[in-house]
Amino acid sequence: MSKLVLSGLLLLLSMSFVSALGFGAIAIELSDIWQALVSYDATNLEQKIVIELRLPRAILAFLVGSGLAMAGLILQTVTRNPLADPYLFGVSSGASFGVVLLFALTGVQAGLVLSGAAFAGSLLAMTALLLIAKSQLNNQVESMLLAGVALSFLFSACTSLLLYWSDPQAVTAIVFWTLGSFSRADWQILWLPAVVVCMSVSCMLLFRRTLNAMLLGDESATTLGVNVTKLRLGMLVLSSLLTAVLVAMCGGVGFVGLMIPHIVRFFVSQASTAGLLITTMSGGLFMLWVDIAARTVLENQELPVGVITAAIGSVFFLALLVLRKRATASM
Amino acid sequence: MNQLVQATHSMLDIQQVGLQMNQSYILKDVSFNIQAGQFVGLLGPNGAGKSSLLRCIYRFIKPTSGQIKLLDAPIDSYSRQEYAKQVAVVLQDVPEQFNLAVFDVIAMGLTPHKPLFSSMNHKDKYEIATALEKVGLTHKSNQMFSSLSGGEKQRVMIARAMVQQPQLLIMDEPTSHLDVKYQIQIMELAKSLGVSVLASFHDLNLAAAISDHLLVLHNGELKAQGAPSQVLTSELLSDVFGVCAKVTQVPSAHNEQTLVPHIRYHYGYIQ
Repeated sequence: MSKLVLSGLLLLLSMSFVSALGFGAIAIELSDIWQALVSYDATNLEQKIVIELRLPRAILAFLVGSGLAMAGLILQTVTRNPLADPYLFGVSSGASFGVVLLFALTGVQAGLVLSGAAFAGSLLAMTALLLIAKSQLNNQVESMLLAGVALSFLFSACTSLLLYWSDPQAVTAIVFWTLGSFSRADWQILWLPAVVVCMSVSCMLLFRRTLNAMLLGDESATTLGVNVTKLRLGMLVLSSLLTAVLVAMCGGVGFVGLMIPHIVRFFVSQASTAGLLITTMSGGLFMLWVDIAARTVLENQELPVGVITAAIGSVFFLALLVLRKRATASM
Repeated sequence: MNQLVQATHSMLDIQQVGLQMNQSYILKDVSFNIQAGQFVGLLGPNGAGKSSLLRCIYRFIKPTSGQIKLLDAPIDSYSRQEYAKQVAVVLQDVPEQFNLAVFDVIAMGLTPHKPLFSSMNHKDKYEIATALEKVGLTHKSNQMFSSLSGGEKQRVMIARAMVQQPQLLIMDEPTSHLDVKYQIQIMELAKSLGVSVLASFHDLNLAAAISDHLLVLHNGELKAQGAPSQVLTSELLSDVFGVCAKVTQVPSAHNEQTLVPHIRYHYGYIQ
């Protein structure tokens, strides 16, 4: 059953990749895409668009989607909070703050330093969240969410303050970046998100048993021989790193981490290896299509992806609240 | 001869265990011993320290004094995994915010046995299938854990403990929210596993009928221990539980030859 779903997803994924390469400001024929993939001719403009622009962009979109879905899944598992999400927990805002601070101080706009700053910012946010929610980590779903939202506002305020002091040109660049975009994708920078996402998937697969054991509570996990405190801390750092690297590259893309694991969990048991892989792939698939929409909905214009995910995500979040309310009312 | 060796084989040895939190005693000077294969019932009113005592034994909290030995070795000398291979725990209830298939919950019992990289092999699947069969939930293997009834959930947790293949099974009031039928079912299931069991009970008659040995905890102290018919007396029941009770000996449901204590309570309002 799950093998069938996985192979279906793989098929869908390859079709989506082809679509991502074809759709855009200029529609490119399937035959040209094929040509570009098998025998690339750099002098052909259409082939150049496919290989130099759209392919790295599609890969980045996939990596960001799957990475954020994973970051959400990790957060949800170790805090046992189904509403956890790097965006809602303020981790993304922390990362953004790190990036903007570095930018405002030094003017650096790209590179590893940016990811480093984002990581520092996300760790700061995560530490603050843990300190606030310390005593209630295990059972208070709502209070942790509120703490996360508060932190998210705090970091946004700091970011806005920094923007206020920066020069207008820089502000435009930063604002566009915070809205989320894959336009900076090129082959030179792709390795970093690729490495981090692959590393996280491997970590999740490696520790899947102990992670799953945590789903039935700290006490239950302890009796299965799991070092709960250490595992939770390690996984929170991992999800911060994942969020930070992706935010540094593409800005604030929210709600993917909340939505994707939620939808997948509805159909597949979360504790299975298949559930993990399906979550990752669905995240990537979702983001690929968000990016396609961002490039094609408005003619000659590109919508920020963060706007689209936030729009879909907020509707999803509201629907979730209504459903939860109904579920508790009917009990 | 062989049986004699078996009978003197100590599974769990607890010496003067004390637990102090915020200057007040939760447990005071508790000592007892569990032999291999014994079914030991832990009794006591709410707040007597039953859960705390069990938590000390399954290493969720550390006692402030005394020593606990499992198979003649201090429990701190075991690594987390080694300890989880010896001791499995079924808790009162487990949080379930997530959709988990019954099969996956039972597979969690493999956690201490499997190295990080390994995947599930035929033997593991066979063990899970056997456990499912034993608790009578084979047909619900692919269902979601959260959709099960309370009794089914506890049977799943027992199946998980079976997959863990422990020498000692600890149960912290596993039946307190369940219907009568499931209370008996869960406890008989635990007894049928053939491992040493330490279980806390709410129902005194059920405890008396099923346990080989009883421990009675009151205000963190061990008030009495021994065979059910010695421990459960009218005096103890009024001292510890604050009820008036008549205790008679009735033939066991499992074996007509053995007598087990049977308690009839009253509080005293009606003369």
